[in-house]
Amino acid sequence: MTNAPAPQAAKITGRTLPPIAFLPFGALFGFVLSRAGATTYDYYAGLFLFSHLQLLWVIAAGAATGAVFIAIMKRMKTKAVLTGDSIDFTGKPFTKELVPGALVLGVGWGLAGACPGTVLTMLGEGKLNALFTIGGIVVGTWLYGVVKNASQGKAPSAGDSHAPAA
Amino acid sequence: MENLTIWAGWAGGIGVGLVVALLYWTTGKGLGVSAAYGEVCGLAGSDFFKRGTFAGPRWRLFFALGLPIGGAIAVLTSGISWAPTWDMGTLYPAVLPDSTWIRGGVLAAGGALIGIGARMAGGCQSGHAITGMALLNPPSVLAGGLFFVGGIVSVQTLFGLFS
Repeated sequence: MTNAPAPQAAKITGRTLPPIAFLPFGALFGFVLSRAGATTYDYYAGLFLFSHLQLLWVIAAGAATGAVFIAIMKRMKTKAVLTGDSIDFTGKPFTKELVPGALVLGVGWGLAGACPGTVLTMLGEGKLNALFTIGGIVVGTWLYGVVKNASQGKAPSAGDSHAPAA
Repeated sequence: MENLTIWAGWAGGIGVGLVVALLYWTTGKGLGVSAAYGEVCGLAGSDFFKRGTFAGPRWRLFFALGLPIGGAIAVLTSGISWAPTWDMGTLYPAVLPDSTWIRGGVLAAGGALIGIGARMAGGCQSGHAITGMALLNPPSVLAGGLFFVGGIVSVQTLFGLFS
């Protein structure tokens, strides 16, 4: 894991992967989500009713497993095998929208019995109710963009007067 | 879908964590799904999602497109035949309306909250709760905890009122 990628990496550093290269990773993730029970509606209700904690174990073991391998890759300064670039392990930042947003997402999570990723996997399994949830997520995402676009439309014009001329 | 093969929770979680690690190790990318919906909105004409990280390259969109393929493979390798279904198991149908369309309205409303909330929070269960917690990133740990609080509130309310 340490030595193998190194000589190769030197040759292909900075290589950009075509987006389609991520399709098989998505398929693998979908397969694992399904096997983990993350596409089974009853496990979502069971999680929040505290009657069946399958998905709590999935999230806990998932985060723990990821943490172990990320710690190893950080320590070994592992380069990404397919690009040769060093891996950016920077986490997502805290924003003032994070707390209300996470609560809103959580309420939707319970109502829909699905997440953005698992609901796409459910559709692939043939679960047609996923279509409603997918449609809702697209609409909700779109609405966020509309609201942000409207507020940002005002903000830059106020800031422009302070900005040096381009 | 009762015959879908499902692993023990801890085993499924290890699988999920390995995919997160594999994606970092091979491509250098942090696994996340909800931003793909932003990329779809950008492609569909939303001005906001034509900018910044959503402008491309749209690797998240292709990752997301792989998910249903994985779901289909999971069914076909469970020893059952693939078939479209409205089945939602036993718990949700006990509290949701029987009408497909009214039930769909509830699921779509839940989806809309997921969509808005994911963009406000900067990620969803995969990006914050799995990848973010694997990074031991404090904002993600907070977000993951609050996802649970929201889910407990809505499900306890739903089942408290209608069961």
